[in-house]
Amino acid sequence: MTFEEIYKTYWQKVFRLCMGYVNNRDWAKDITQETFITVWQQLPKFRNESSVGTWIFRIASNQCLRQIEKNKRLPKVELPFQIEDANQTDDEHKVQFLYKCIAELQEIDRIIISLELEDIKQSEIASIVGLSEANIRVKIHRIKEKLTEKFKQYEY
Amino acid sequence: MNIDNDFKGLWKKQEISAIPSANEIFEKASKLKRKTRNKMLLQNILLICTIVFIVFIVSISQPQMITTKIGALLIIIAIISYVIPSFSVIKDIFKNNLESSNANFLDQFIRLKHKQEFLQKTLLTIYFIMLSIGLFLYMIEYAQMMSLTLRIIVYGMSFGWIAFNWFYIRPHTIKKQQSAINEIIDKLKKVNEQMTSLNE
Repeated sequence: MTFEEIYKTYWQKVFRLCMGYVNNRDWAKDITQETFITVWQQLPKFRNESSVGTWIFRIASNQCLRQIEKNKRLPKVELPFQIEDANQTDDEHKVQFLYKCIAELQEIDRIIISLELEDIKQSEIASIVGLSEANIRVKIHRIKEKLTEKFKQYEY
Repeated sequence: MNIDNDFKGLWKKQEISAIPSANEIFEKASKLKRKTRNKMLLQNILLICTIVFIVFIVSISQPQMITTKIGALLIIIAIISYVIPSFSVIKDIFKNNLESSNANFLDQFIRLKHKQEFLQKTLLTIYFIMLSIGLFLYMIEYAQMMSLTLRIIVYGMSFGWIAFNWFYIRPHTIKKQQSAINEIIDKLKKVNEQMTSLNE
């Protein structure tokens, strides 16, 4: 796969992962850019030991975790998420609410659920995060329970 | 309603403005490379200039005593140990492997931060010791030419300055450096704990 192909195929997926992690568009774009800079630099050395997807998501999620070191930005909770927009549809509200809920989870949980919602196989998620598949399964189950609970409160 | 599909559907509906052109990545990558190279060049030039300057001063004053020369050498070592942590080569050692799993990445991250903490502290101590001894030795030759009163004043002031550095500036700097690193380590450890805990 050439870099351009990888870029086209994965840009949106990586962006959504970063959005799930920080819930801030500009910040997520920056992390996405950093991810692809690393991909561009490391691609010649990439040896297909894992699938390209696993490799890219590892870089992306580690770039997210790296934000802990450069946490100079405002914590996402303080960001004005709810800028009420009268033109927003119900679905758009729900999308925003979902990303907000995810960004409020613990760091590792954010990564796990983002990958799960991106339709990544659980075995692959296990290899990206570095936990056993059984562990991942339990965690995903719990996170989904939490999200469902929040959505129930949101709807009523 | 299938909650699972619902979440996945919503997840993918995240509005995405146009994907930026891949050229942006190339430009940013080469800019970063250039920046790193320039910084390294500048650091080396500054370091060499400082050393040349000290050697020049020592050579025009033509010291007779060996203590003066050793003193100058120690001061140079002090300066080098002060700038070492900012060297790109050293910084590379602390670069983390982004291609490993999150669990490995975090472990490595924490270990590197501990190492960095140790290195900073050690080098800072070396810097102050070398600078103090260097200054002391360097002064011997010139102090001999002074009257006793002047000698006492000059030595008294130098010792005062060194003591102030050692007992005030050094612990303060170390504390500041460490609290910055420790804050990051604490956060990393908390995230790492999430790996092992299944029940929250």
